[in-house]
Amino acid sequence: MLQTLPRRAVVTLLALSVFFPLGLVIYQSVLSGPFFMKTASLSLESFAFIFDDPDFWMAAKNTIFIAVGMSLIAIPLGAILAFIMVRTDLPGRRWLETPILIPIFVSPVVIGFGYVVALGPVGFFSVWFESIFGSVPWNIYSLFAIVVIAGLTHVPHVYLYSSSALRNLGSDVEEAARLSGASPFRVARDVSIPMVSPALLYVGVLVFFLGFEIFGLPLILGDPEGHLVLTTYLYKLTNKLGTPSYHLMAAVATCIIAVTFPLVLLQRFLLKSAQRFVSVKGKSARQRPLALGGWKWLALALIALWLFLTVFVPVAGVALRSVVSSWGAGVNLLEVLTLDHFHAVFEESTMIRSIINSILIGTLGGAVAVGGYLLIGLATHRQPDGLSRFVDYVVLTPRAVPGLMAGLAVFWVFLFVPFLAPLRSTLFSVWFAYAVVWLAYGMRLIQSALMQVGPELEEAGRLVGASRSRVSRDITVPLIRNGLLGSWLLIFMIFEREYSTGVYLLSPGTEVIGAQIVSLWASGAVDVVAALSLINMLLVGVGLALALRFGVKLHD
Amino acid sequence: MTDKTILTVDNLALSYGSNPILKGVSMQLRRGEVVSLLGPSGSGKTTLLRAVAGLEQPHQGSVTIAGRAIYDAAANVDIPAEKRELGLVFQSYALWPHKTVFDNVAYPLVLRKVAKAEIASRVQAALKNLGLAHLAERYPHQLSGGQQQRVSIARALVYNPPVILLDEPLSNLDAKMREEARAWLRNLIVEMQLSALVVTHDQSEAMAMSDRILLLNGGVIEQQGTPQEMYSSPKTHFVADFMGSNNTLPGRIAEIRGGEALVDIGNGLRLWGQRRSDAAVGQEVKAVARVEQVRLADGPGEHRTEIDLVTSMFLGDRFEYVLHAGENLLRAWGNRQEAAGKRWLEFPPDAVWVF
Repeated sequence: MLQTLPRRAVVTLLALSVFFPLGLVIYQSVLSGPFFMKTASLSLESFAFIFDDPDFWMAAKNTIFIAVGMSLIAIPLGAILAFIMVRTDLPGRRWLETPILIPIFVSPVVIGFGYVVALGPVGFFSVWFESIFGSVPWNIYSLFAIVVIAGLTHVPHVYLYSSSALRNLGSDVEEAARLSGASPFRVARDVSIPMVSPALLYVGVLVFFLGFEIFGLPLILGDPEGHLVLTTYLYKLTNKLGTPSYHLMAAVATCIIAVTFPLVLLQRFLLKSAQRFVSVKGKSARQRPLALGGWKWLALALIALWLFLTVFVPVAGVALRSVVSSWGAGVNLLEVLTLDHFHAVFEESTMIRSIINSILIGTLGGAVAVGGYLLIGLATHRQPDGLSRFVDYVVLTPRAVPGLMAGLAVFWVFLFVPFLAPLRSTLFSVWFAYAVVWLAYGMRLIQSALMQVGPELEEAGRLVGASRSRVSRDITVPLIRNGLLGSWLLIFMIFEREYSTGVYLLSPGTEVIGAQIVSLWASGAVDVVAALSLINMLLVGVGLALALRFGVKLHD
Repeated sequence: MTDKTILTVDNLALSYGSNPILKGVSMQLRRGEVVSLLGPSGSGKTTLLRAVAGLEQPHQGSVTIAGRAIYDAAANVDIPAEKRELGLVFQSYALWPHKTVFDNVAYPLVLRKVAKAEIASRVQAALKNLGLAHLAERYPHQLSGGQQQRVSIARALVYNPPVILLDEPLSNLDAKMREEARAWLRNLIVEMQLSALVVTHDQSEAMAMSDRILLLNGGVIEQQGTPQEMYSSPKTHFVADFMGSNNTLPGRIAEIRGGEALVDIGNGLRLWGQRRSDAAVGQEVKAVARVEQVRLADGPGEHRTEIDLVTSMFLGDRFEYVLHAGENLLRAWGNRQEAAGKRWLEFPPDAVWVF
């Protein structure tokens, strides 16, 4: 809880941080040229240009194809996985939970790279497979492969939401159905599945919408055969006309937001109706797992296969690629082992800086971001008024803006606003973009921590004479210390993983590993990319290990 | 208003959205008096307490404490909760889990910038008063429910608020402890000469603990008075129903004689009772008699009615008889086990209310 004045200051700053960059994008999209050029005037010609461009329509078609395709793969798989993990007696369930969530914390650009070096034409697994079977039946660069990989790597998102819905479902509703005469199959069909269907619907919208935002995978896998999606089309526009084609990029960005923003609102609506559905809580949530019997081997095999394809293959690919000098058919692995790539990384100051910057932005930047999210959380905490509802929507808005575009918008803000210009080539601009992009995620972490504090504990503080801000300082914040630590670790991992947001902010002094990989990939420096990717995964791994050590829940 | 009045609530109204919770409630609390806010759930009793505390936002009326307006819709006065200087004991006790017992009780004094040494002595005194001196360094989760409640009271009293508010103070204790705690709490309030406003949904708790009871129903005060008045002379059927265990018989008024009315229940059952409404002859009414006021009798007589005794239930300190009179199920208490069969039930006219 905050007093009126600091509360208004926090909300104003928040609204500015979110709406100013976004407004700038929309404003730029209706200009005839980059906003800093005097000749730029209001016009719709940027839209006319991209709507006239066959590449745009191809990218739009591919985007929809990927979004639909990956939803069709991720939703059933994620739901089945969640059912097996939550409702059955599968052996080793507790040990499988963390590996299942790994893809969420690994940068998609690293995963994409991992697939290239593992399953690409001369990838490790492709070469081994070919030497045994004579040929490779897959083509990692096809649109179909992108859909499959995107689908597999988004299974954890579905898993998260459906498993928590299934966990909230008490056995008693199922037992009541059993006693009324329903077989276990009928129970699942008539009771369990319908009761979690709001969660499935919600996550369906989420995955579809993430499909509109994916960038790293199609950037790396779609390039060789020229499969563009909207985000990569936007990225390629940078150089399309030679001059900075800001107005065109803004027009594409506006088109993407026009699709994603309604989806975000739809999600919010679905979440609210899903909460209405959850009637069961507390004591009744005691569950009796379903005995799998002989089916457990099939279930285990399914999970193992998915983990192998989605986690082991790309991660092993990256790890292996970072320690070999070259690879291809007929190459003996032992002869090409080398640490040269790491030497190369640690000899170049840009690389070292990118690693240091990444660590800084994760640790210090993560802490400051959590502090900011906390302030916003306190500004709306237990004050259900118009201002709080406004903040709710402000917080949701950045979700509709893919990281790549958010980074671009922030870049423009730092170009546009004179007193911010000196900060453009400092790490602050990157931190600011990260903090805004992950606002909704961070606020969810903070709000779920704040909700744990019983309202009467705060009311008791008020009654004995503490002002709102005093209550926040002496009661609310001390009580959520553990939640804040957990949020910081999760934000650390997310900030290490982030890559697209930094792409447009990349300049000497603001290098971060993720953006560096994107830029190096374009120049074909595969060796360094491999080394940096491994370092990136190690950083995330450290965060994950700490999070597990402190018992941080990886989901709510 | 006399100068003994410490808390005055005048015509207070409060709504959640378009849903009115309090519809103009007025009450007074005198110095050294315990007043209970009693009512079924949804009657607005907790809302009234929280509005006095400053935790809910009324839209009409005023609240005055010791002559100081802390809320006045007309004058646009709304003192925030932390400046009202009231003590509130929460239903869940609301002890801060990250502070020790000592720190919980000390916090109000820290906020008032009391000197350290004085804090220590005042907190120790408060804890000693409530028999908690040895628990000062414990954390709330290391205490029993009863101890937590005492810490919560100590915290609410340590800064000497003029009025202490208690929200369902006994509801978190188990049934056995509740009666002991009730006596202990009443004793504490009387000994320390506190002025207390207590919310409860339990009428026996309200009667035992308070000097006066306010019975709320649907956001208005249905009736207020001493426990004896509330129990023995209810003004409406709702009050009669809420304050005790009753036999209720629907019927029509057959005859009126001064303050008494004859109610025709049907099946030849006719009862004389006290008129509590201005219902005229022929109108539908309810005849209500406390279970402890009706008596089984062996033979016919004045104000006696023939009934069927179905069964006797042993309750420990007495027997309860289950009786049939036509379609009505009645109850009566007695000291002996009675076999099933025909009996007579006596309804003394001064113990029957006609609403």
